[in-house]
Amino acid sequence: MPSIAIPTALRQFAGGNSAVQVQGQKIGEAIADLADQYPDLKKHLFDANGNLRSFVNVFINDEDIRHLQQNETAISDSDEISIIPSIAGGSATEADLRAGSTPLPELNKDEIARYSRHLIMPEVGMEGQRKLKAASVLLIGTGGLGSPLGLYLAAAGIGRLGLVDFDVVDESNLQRQIVHGTKDVGRPKIESARDRLSDINPHIQIDTHEFALRSENALDLIRDYDIVIDGTDNFQTRYLVNDASVLLGKPNVYGSIFRFDGQASVFYPASGGPCYRCLYPEPPPPGLVPSCAEGGVLGILPGIIGVIQATEAIKLIIGQGDPLIGRLLLFDALKMKFKELKLRRNPECPLCGENPTIRELIDYDQFCGIVPETVEAQTDDDWEITPVQLKQRLDQGERITIIDVREIHEWQICNLESYGSRLIPLGQFPDRITELSREEHIVLQCKMGGRSAKAYEALKKSGFTRIRNLKGGILAWADTVDPGLPKY
Amino acid sequence: MPIHLQPEHVAAIRAHGERTYPEECGGLLLGILEGDDQIVREIMPLDNIRNDSRHNRVELSPLDYARAEREAGRRNLGVWGYYHSHPDHPAVPSSFDLEHAPFTEWSYLIVSIRDGKAADLRAWSLRTDRSQFDEKTIVTASQYKPTP
Repeated sequence: MPSIAIPTALRQFAGGNSAVQVQGQKIGEAIADLADQYPDLKKHLFDANGNLRSFVNVFINDEDIRHLQQNETAISDSDEISIIPSIAGGSATEADLRAGSTPLPELNKDEIARYSRHLIMPEVGMEGQRKLKAASVLLIGTGGLGSPLGLYLAAAGIGRLGLVDFDVVDESNLQRQIVHGTKDVGRPKIESARDRLSDINPHIQIDTHEFALRSENALDLIRDYDIVIDGTDNFQTRYLVNDASVLLGKPNVYGSIFRFDGQASVFYPASGGPCYRCLYPEPPPPGLVPSCAEGGVLGILPGIIGVIQATEAIKLIIGQGDPLIGRLLLFDALKMKFKELKLRRNPECPLCGENPTIRELIDYDQFCGIVPETVEAQTDDDWEITPVQLKQRLDQGERITIIDVREIHEWQICNLESYGSRLIPLGQFPDRITELSREEHIVLQCKMGGRSAKAYEALKKSGFTRIRNLKGGILAWADTVDPGLPKY
Repeated sequence: MPIHLQPEHVAAIRAHGERTYPEECGGLLLGILEGDDQIVREIMPLDNIRNDSRHNRVELSPLDYARAEREAGRRNLGVWGYYHSHPDHPAVPSSFDLEHAPFTEWSYLIVSIRDGKAADLRAWSLRTDRSQFDEKTIVTASQYKPTP
């Protein structure tokens, strides 16, 4: 009977034997007999379709059966039959991989002139620039981070840029969202960004996706791109982008900003690194971490962090340098210092750990504890008052105390002091509740109505009944009552 | 499941990567298992048989592999992994590495060579579902006392 030599790594699935005697006149029969004797070997030797795996070679003496009569090759007892793995590796990038099937696109004369400062660097050169042209990058958001990302990636010659956004340009965006201009206020961000980016570089393709990224569409959208870059500032989308890119094996270039602080990393478990969930397994309770709209952000900060993200994307594509995989870069603009933390993959991670429990996208609003409005408040029909109603009652001479729960620097921008409003920042509730009387009619007000709803809950719990929340906050007041009031 | 290497093994892998720079190199790891630990006893540097893309691809000869198995068998060792270099790339498996890694029981060592000088050496293992690599700890001889 002929025998088949088993490679070291598979012997544990073959009863510990280094060679197994098999029956058969032809090599195909012999291999089938081996698999019948040791069924555990099957999944190591054959793929789901029952074909030999691409890295499994069968040799008879010194010849690969692929060069003989394949499975039909006749064997005799004196033949040395071996299972031999193909061993291959490479430092290929995503773009290289695709280049394996389709050659990298050529650069035309105009492109060569445009990218000449890249081309004369050996780290980029013609090959790197062609990889950039072959690459596709999806930007989630065209706001603070998305602006510098879009501008530089377009200028660098990324062949296909995808933009996802459904917002319109607001005046308060222009302090940092430099892809949009004053003339674009009121336009969909995605159109404004597309116009600006195609002006910067007409050689690239820009795909616009004007909708909110959701669990239902994220996989289909991200699947079509090599790299995804998260430029959003809410936790639902951040977990959604993370989970979708891990499930699809795509690198996720992460950045986040708040006030004077920023962070960046590259989450890429398929290449051995951790994911966002390894860093933050759970989102913070809703409302604990203020968004940039609530807490503010230095306009330059997204420029710095976005440009770091763009740099990482380009490095991944051209395969140069050390990527931020497994490292979290922290930036403090006030101290003007960068710090770096080593990130390790969490073996217990429910997404990329050793026993993952998340195998599909989930409901991220629910995961992050987001409910449209507080249930308690919704059941209370007349808990809110509109700016127009409030103005009417004030004009009728009703005594109403307006409590502004914003921060002092917001108060300085605009306020309702002329109607007797007083400032008690939300953070000082409930310590200053004693300043209020349960006998007064109180209207709580903030910028947009969110924080004042929290103050409403606090007062209600303390037994206040004559309270109302100003619907839409001072911005709604400016829109419907006093157009002269500055908006921010 | 750490992998144990002698300092001369590390030196041999680094030297091989520097010698073939800017092209990739590769070789096999011969050793034994002790419980979950892989103990490397010998590094077998081999030729890169690729004719093209040698700066970012390496392939070992199946006949060299067969020879390594025979050699290992004679000495009661096994072939428990392979190493390769990433010239001017990080010591992190590429998607190509993921697609071509043969065994889930092996150790995959990658040495990064920067401008001709060996930089990081890192060890990886392939998940049983072949979905991705996990990093392994490398223990060098100073931390490990071999059993007599």
